[in-house]
Amino acid sequence: MPTSVTHDILIIGGGGAGLRAAIAAAEHSAKLSIGIVSKVYPMRSHTVSAEGGAAGVMRDNDSLDQHAKDTIFGADFLADQDAVEILVNEAPGELIQIEHWGCPWSRDPDGRISVRSFGGMSVDRTVYAADKTGFHMLHTLFQTSLKYESIHRYDECFVTSILADDGKARGVTFINMYSGQVQLITAKAVIICTGGCGRIFPFTTNASIKSGDGMALAYRSGVPLKDMEFVQYHPTGMPGTGILITEASRGEGGWLVNKDGYRYLQDYGLGPPTDTPVHRKMELGPRDILSRCHMQEFQKGRTFEGPYGHYVHLDLRHIGEAVIDSKLPFVRELSRNYLGIDPVYEPIPVRPVVHYMMGGIHTDADGKTPMDGLFAAGETACVSVNGANRLGSNSLTELLVFGARAGRAAAQYAEQEPAGPSQPLDALAGDEQRRLEQQYFRKEGGKVRISEIRDAMQHAMEEGVGVYRNEEDLLKTCQTLRDLRHRFSDIRIEDKTDIFNTERTTVLELDYMLDLAEAIANSALQRKESRGSHTRTDYPDRDDENFLKHTMVLRTPEGPKIEYAPVTITRWQPEERKY
Amino acid sequence: MAEATLKIFRGTAERSEYQTFSVPTYQGMVVLDAVHDIQAGQAPDLAVRWNCKAGKCGSCGAEVNGNPRLLCMTRMDQYPAGQPIVVEPMRRFPLIRDLVCDVSWNYEVNKRIKPLAPKPREADGTYRMQQYDIDRVQEFHKCIECFLCQDVCHVMRDHGKYDFAGPRFMVRLAALAMHPLDTVDRLRDLRDAQGIGYCNITKCCTEVCPESISITDNAIIPLKERVAGEFYDPLAWIWRALRGKKADTRNPVH
Ligand SMILES: Cc1cc2nc3c(=O)[nH]c(=O)nc-3n(C[C@H](O)[C@H](O)[C@H](O)COP(=O)(O)OP(=O)(O)OC[C@H]3O[C@@H](n4cnc5c(N)ncnc54)[C@H](O)[C@@H]3O)c2cc1C
Ligand code: SF4
Ligand code: SF4
Ligand code: FES
Repeated sequence: MPTSVTHDILIIGGGGAGLRAAIAAAEHSAKLSIGIVSKVYPMRSHTVSAEGGAAGVMRDNDSLDQHAKDTIFGADFLADQDAVEILVNEAPGELIQIEHWGCPWSRDPDGRISVRSFGGMSVDRTVYAADKTGFHMLHTLFQTSLKYESIHRYDECFVTSILADDGKARGVTFINMYSGQVQLITAKAVIICTGGCGRIFPFTTNASIKSGDGMALAYRSGVPLKDMEFVQYHPTGMPGTGILITEASRGEGGWLVNKDGYRYLQDYGLGPPTDTPVHRKMELGPRDILSRCHMQEFQKGRTFEGPYGHYVHLDLRHIGEAVIDSKLPFVRELSRNYLGIDPVYEPIPVRPVVHYMMGGIHTDADGKTPMDGLFAAGETACVSVNGANRLGSNSLTELLVFGARAGRAAAQYAEQEPAGPSQPLDALAGDEQRRLEQQYFRKEGGKVRISEIRDAMQHAMEEGVGVYRNEEDLLKTCQTLRDLRHRFSDIRIEDKTDIFNTERTTVLELDYMLDLAEAIANSALQRKESRGSHTRTDYPDRDDENFLKHTMVLRTPEGPKIEYAPVTITRWQPEERKY
Repeated sequence: MAEATLKIFRGTAERSEYQTFSVPTYQGMVVLDAVHDIQAGQAPDLAVRWNCKAGKCGSCGAEVNGNPRLLCMTRMDQYPAGQPIVVEPMRRFPLIRDLVCDVSWNYEVNKRIKPLAPKPREADGTYRMQQYDIDRVQEFHKCIECFLCQDVCHVMRDHGKYDFAGPRFMVRLAALAMHPLDTVDRLRDLRDAQGIGYCNITKCCTEVCPESISITDNAIIPLKERVAGEFYDPLAWIWRALRGKKADTRNPVH
């Protein structure tokens, strides 16, 4: 029988969103006991990797309406405009609040918080802490969370299921990595903050833990996933490793050039090229468009070829060593370490790589999912503020604003809920333990290697659900993924030990990713238009009449089932998205 | 294709051994790549922590040829060809399995540090600060909590003095002490609860820090001077006399 503990609120994930939610719930009431279960120490969460910054209106030359408009326009009108208004309204307060907790924002000479330009934003509004913004935010949130005695952490514990009672989320089971034991936490409310799932793709800026576990957990609990076909490619990742070169390098004036040394973006309606960066033009165009330009240059034979495929150059030389060292020190460090290149003297090879999931668990603006007691926030959720294409630096803001909102909403919900589930959950947890043991822990004689299925899945995703998509390739990918799902039952697990068994978690992550891969590919297959990051060569235009709506994908035994839900339009009527 | 040999620590506190593996090498390869190569084929049950593979998340600390390093930032080609590269878990912490050890002690220490308590905001609800104030704390905020410095510090490693919070937390305390908004006095805690007196400035911690934080010069020495200034203990007087400096602790040494 699994051992069990009880909390009022249980948060899965100790990244930016999870910690912000925990603090919000703790501030709401000191009486609520809060648990955070995370498969890595919170400080190892992927939020540490965010470099560029967090957007919010901080200056007189800017306005909330302008931030909202840029976001909605960038989203190709698929964002819910009421949610976007909440995002921009609450952003400045959150950014100042986190400074109050100790986050060292970079400053202007007059002592105010500095702002920098970012792709798709019409004025400078991205707040930053050198080029380690997410890192400083996560540290600050973590240290702040330690202040509250009501917050309890379960580090290096891997969640395997959400337990429901009477249709309400009531707890989770997890594997304690130290002992290999399956344990149970019951709670009145569960908040999923598990981040994105870039690892489904072969080239990604996402760290190894980004396997979308929470999305899959919600999907398995019958909650729809929204707009999963919208996968953001970042135009400047390192070939091979996928390590990100931050967009701030373009904000500071970096150029993208093809193999002829030509700033090719001017050929795609983003010109004219200027020496200093101009908002929303050239290199400061939005990510989806820049990634497509790259692919077209490749088709025209104007990219370089290297051991990891095609690439172009990001040239920072004209910015000079002083600016590189003060504003982009990490770019220099990474280039030197991983490419043996010093960007002060040489251009950096870059290519589009998978970066961010616009889609995710369907929630409202308080992080509530359709399942009672289940909430979600951060990259794993889809509110939706990012629509068909997220603007850089909106997601750190999103995890603060909606992390806090989900924390408060879950706290209110927990206060109103009666003490416990109508029946003890131990029996359910016992079932889950048996499932894990039979399928994985004590499994004998499987034949298929984990890496074989993972590589095949990643390859199928790149083939069918890359920057450009079409019906034929998508159908093939959907079929391959179905086959892989069947083959997965014959997986081979060699490590039978209990203590810190990473092969087990790797295989469970693969199981989650296979679900999500199918959800993404089928959502993309059904959306017969091009919008934001979703580009169909067979349906090259945006089709508002038929597709100005959110995709909702549900899990069924036969595979994903697609439904649609309306988009909320308030003050900004859809217009053509031109930069 | 060139090959390298790795001698890797395997096992738990009860039973352990060193296993030797050969892996093909390529340009730019780091030790973590070699470990992954071994996991993919020869030893799927090899336990190791890692995540970002970019020196940011602080997961992959271990000892390579006896030196505390991040596996993902340690190039294979810096070691002489033909000699085995020895990979072991951080020695200072209790072993869990293979290359994974229990670093939870550090989080317990952290809990004992009084958190930031900021001064009131300005009239418009924001703060004004100067970039040089921010730069000063940003160096300390860069810490990725890899705990390599905690691993190497001889106060704990060789002398087992766990009432010393260790270099990582001297960095954290310095970040708080020099934060332009902070209002809390932690000097007595530094002397008593965090045992700053144990540090005898060997600078081993600074040498291993992957973030190149000048732990000793910029964090520990200014903190020691503050503590000395506060409590006037005779040793501190001698210390300051030797360094020939006033206890101006607001400015880190450059
Ligand atoms: C390289 C890079 C740079 C970026 N730069 C920017 C930027 O400049 N500006 C911006 O706005 N955005 C940026 N982003 C995006 C942004 O960083 C992320 O969207 C955001 O940090 C996600 O935060 P999160 O809290 O939702 O999830 P994460 O920080 O990924 O945290 C997820 C948490 O869930 C836990 N977890 C997951 N699965 C399980 C499980 N099964 N059991 C238990 N725990 C689990 C993990 O342990 C972790 O604690 C960047 C992203 C990348 C990849
Ligand atoms: S300088 Fe001090 S803290 Fe650093 S290793 Fe030496 S004794 Fe430890
Ligand atoms: S101070 Fe340096 S060595 Fe110590 S934990 Fe932080 S980053 Fe690691
Ligand atoms: S894997 Fe993140 S620091 Fe090495």
